[in-house]
Amino acid sequence: MSQLSSADTETTEPAEDIAVAVDETREAVLAEFTERLGTGVVGSHIRVGDDLWIRVERAQWVAAAESAKAMGFVFFDFLSAIDWLPSPFGRDMDAQEDRIVAGTPAKDPEPMVQGYAGGDTRFQLLARVYSISAGLGINLKCDLPDDDLTAATWYTIYAGANWHEREAREMFGITFDGHPNMINLYLPADFVGHPLRKDFPLLARRVRPWPGIVDVEPMPGVEDEEGEGE
Amino acid sequence: MTTISDPESVAALAAEAVDNRVNLDFETEGMTLNMGPQHPATHGTLRIIARLDGEQVISAEPMCGYMHRGYEKLTEVRTYPQINALINRIDWLGSFANEVPFILAAEKLMGVEAPPRAQWIRTILFEMSRIANISLFLGDFGLQLGGMTAGFYAFRDREWVLNQIESATGGRFHPNFDRIGGLKDDLPKGWIEQSHTAMDKLLAFCDEMEDLLVGNEIFQARTRGIGVIPADIALSYGLSGANLRASGFDWGLRRDNCPPGLVYDKAEWKVWTHPDGDCFARTWVRLQETREAAKIVKQLLDTIPSGPVMAKVPRIIKVPEGEAYVATENPLGEMGYYVVSKGDLVPFRVKIRSASFNNISVVPWVARGAYVPDLISILGSLYFILGDIDR
Amino acid sequence: MGLVESGKLPQPLAKLLNISRKYSIWAYQWGLACCAIEMGAAFASPRYDVMRLGVIPFPASPRQADLVVIAGTVTDKLAPAVVRLYEQMPDPKYVISMGSCANCGGPYWDSYSVTKGVDQLIPVDVYVPGCPPRPEALLEGIILLQERIAHEDMSERWKGEPIVVG
Repeated sequence: MSQLSSADTETTEPAEDIAVAVDETREAVLAEFTERLGTGVVGSHIRVGDDLWIRVERAQWVAAAESAKAMGFVFFDFLSAIDWLPSPFGRDMDAQEDRIVAGTPAKDPEPMVQGYAGGDTRFQLLARVYSISAGLGINLKCDLPDDDLTAATWYTIYAGANWHEREAREMFGITFDGHPNMINLYLPADFVGHPLRKDFPLLARRVRPWPGIVDVEPMPGVEDEEGEGE
Repeated sequence: MTTISDPESVAALAAEAVDNRVNLDFETEGMTLNMGPQHPATHGTLRIIARLDGEQVISAEPMCGYMHRGYEKLTEVRTYPQINALINRIDWLGSFANEVPFILAAEKLMGVEAPPRAQWIRTILFEMSRIANISLFLGDFGLQLGGMTAGFYAFRDREWVLNQIESATGGRFHPNFDRIGGLKDDLPKGWIEQSHTAMDKLLAFCDEMEDLLVGNEIFQARTRGIGVIPADIALSYGLSGANLRASGFDWGLRRDNCPPGLVYDKAEWKVWTHPDGDCFARTWVRLQETREAAKIVKQLLDTIPSGPVMAKVPRIIKVPEGEAYVATENPLGEMGYYVVSKGDLVPFRVKIRSASFNNISVVPWVARGAYVPDLISILGSLYFILGDIDR
Repeated sequence: MGLVESGKLPQPLAKLLNISRKYSIWAYQWGLACCAIEMGAAFASPRYDVMRLGVIPFPASPRQADLVVIAGTVTDKLAPAVVRLYEQMPDPKYVISMGSCANCGGPYWDSYSVTKGVDQLIPVDVYVPGCPPRPEALLEGIILLQERIAHEDMSERWKGEPIVVG
């Protein structure tokens, strides 16, 4: 398991007791990033042989993009956001399934826990860029304070960010300073609310809850078990 | 047309027209052309609002969202097998290809690997869905440019591939055949020989398309030199797949960064590029890719290992906590799923990186200065599926 | 000649008119999503040829069409366009709702942006279930519609309540 040696590293990865695989390319990328941004890098996570997450400060969001592009990450994958609030509506159908399967009552609402590379706020921007020459990609995350959901636009660096930022705005309510054309992309202009926020309900499920599991397809080769569903 | 006299009704109409983006200033020069959501030449409900100066396009803006079904929100209330059934419908032509990156991401988080036979069959079905997708593209592109014969040939020859997919999975498209840990079922008897025949027919179809469509001088006149996208612009917008390779950039996810779980390294095949970057290049690259896909399928069919098709996974799938991103080279480009899991039956957040979304975001850039018929060529050659743009 | 609207059309002539109408339907292309591909396979492929039933799938303009097959998901953003295109079709017009998305919202029954069934917007004559329905299922839907046309009373349709949409 490789841990980063920068100042404020937070990871949520459980301790692994397999030995020391160190991902040198990704460590090198991370080191160069930290060198370019200094204290702007506030968290990171490496899954060995697989992927790299870097969390930067909001003020350094554009600087992170410029550094990435200068380091060879020229392919723009996507830009979006994550809302870490546990859904106040639970999971309806699955609450039933939880009870049936585990025989326990429905779970209590959970505290808010962020994912890889840590985080403190409810909303986090998530972007991914890829380096074709090096054959690896980095996921960039950035905390957004709840009372000020804005960030600078990436449009001047990665032109593809244009549409992605429009979508992030209408889905989460995050505004991007300097974006040329901040209108709705997917939703009609008179749509009220930001759908991908966790507190936006799916009304069809509120009105008529999912009836629960009634048909379960058995796994191939496993005989049909009684107990869940009819 | 009603006459508009007082500013109140102008304001009301302007508010109403926000969705329609109608130019209410009544300028005399410059016409706004609305290629509305229903149009025979767009692959679905895409709306292009083009400001014209005569016949030339000053700006063209695609307005999508007419097929937005809210996938990312729906994945937050569905279990993993249910999501598998739902995401088939994103790129609805090459449906099996949509399931694969999601299943691979879930398998990565669970630490499960599908048995070799399942990996072979997955790759074969993946390539077959690529063939099904792009053969329709070739026919439909001909249809859009006015050569209707190509469309009929494509529908006819596509049936061979759909037959094979149907006999293996049960559905012509939307197979919902992939499962976390392997596949739903094994192949039926005689499938391998029939697939060989189908692939031979597809190779003949590719040759036919090369003569009929790509070699047609009207087609070449309408596509050569039109809609040139240089490689650095393509990278900055995130164009992928054949669009990027047609700009001369040699990069293929299957060869260079194939996710574990697909067995492209077990076959001999080639990545095709074209230096021009125009509409013709994109069509040509896709045609060659269809041929390569048929060759890959033939090679893999001969070497399928025997064994189980499903690994040992629990009955109720709970994916451990973590985040994973897996991208594969889908028929439309690079498609990826960023899965955030909290250890539940249901993912916490799934971000779907769909290829056509980035592919079409380049249209405002590339359509400046093009003529109106060229706009059709550009849209057709960039090749999008509305479900992929709008998710 | 005023025979139809006054209701004085003699029976054999009515039957003849109905038969000729049912075998000369012009179906308008309004394919939205995945079902559009199956509709294309039904209409354009030589395997599930629809022209043998007399349905010609060529008009791209609603002004010349008798039948519209709503194939695919209808979203709230698209709903005004569906109604507008339906209103542009001249009478007598028929609607086939193809696929579960158009019938009732389908797999997206809980989505925030999907209209749960196109019959909330326009009147539907035949519902073809499936996700996607096989081309043969669409052909059966068309045959059902043809049977309906064959037994239709033209004067009732002419004189009856105009179908008020919206």
